[in-house]
Amino acid sequence: MATFPVLATMANGLSVFRTWMDAIGDNLANLNTVRRTDESAFQARYIVAEAVNYGSAATPGVGSGSRVASVELGSREGQLAYEPDHPLADANGMVRRPDIDMATQMTQLIQAQRGYQANLAVVDRARDAYLAALQIGK
Amino acid sequence: MPVGPIGSAASIAFTPLTTLPETATTTGANPTSSTGFGDVVIGALDNLSATQQTADKLATQAATGQLADVHDYTIAATEASLATELTMAVRNKAVEAFTSIMNMPL
Repeated sequence: MATFPVLATMANGLSVFRTWMDAIGDNLANLNTVRRTDESAFQARYIVAEAVNYGSAATPGVGSGSRVASVELGSREGQLAYEPDHPLADANGMVRRPDIDMATQMTQLIQAQRGYQANLAVVDRARDAYLAALQIGK
Repeated sequence: MPVGPIGSAASIAFTPLTTLPETATTTGANPTSSTGFGDVVIGALDNLSATQQTADKLATQAATGQLADVHDYTIAATEASLATELTMAVRNKAVEAFTSIMNMPL
C-alpha cells in the first residue's frame, strides 16, 4: 500500500461516496414508508464524512482520504398528512410520512455520482503517471 | 543378489558453510549488508507478493458475491499490476547491469 499511496487514498474516498449513494438509495426507497401517528416516522439517513490522517497543525501532511465517521438520522416527527382512506390513518385521518424531499435526494445523488467519478478520474491519472514513471530510462 | 540398506548414507554429515558470512564481509563488496541491493529486491518481492495476494483475495470475494465494493477490487488489481511492472523494471535493470559487466572485454 505504501508504494502507491494515492490509490489507497482514492479507495477510501470512493467508499465514502458509495456509502452516500447507498444512503440516498435507502432514503428514496422509503419515500412512501408511512407510519401511524403514534409511531416515529421513517428517519432519513445522512452520511457524515471525516478526513483521515491529516497530521497535526504544526506538521500538516497530505492525508489518506476520508471515511464515513457516522450515519445521522433525520427527523423523527416526519410530516403529518391527512389521508383518511389510508389503512394506518388514526381517528382524525392523519398518517406520518417521512420528511424526505425527493428533489433534494436526487440532487445529492448527482453530487455523489460526480464525486465518485472524480475519485475514479484521480485513480486513472495516477495510474497513467506511475506507468509513465516506469518508462524512465527505457 | 541382496541389496543392503542405504542407512550408511545417513552417516555422511552435512557440513554447513559456517565460513560463508565471514567471507562475505571480508570481500567488502557489501559495505552495509542491511541495505544491500539483494535486500531491496527481496523487500520489493515481498511487497509485490502481498499486493497480489490482496488482489487475489478480493477477486475470490467478487466471484463468490462477497465483495462489498467494486472499486476495492479494481484498485487492488491496478496496484498489483503496477507493483509487478515496477518489480520487472528493477529486475530488468539489474540483469542489464550484470550482462554489461559480463560482456566487458578482458
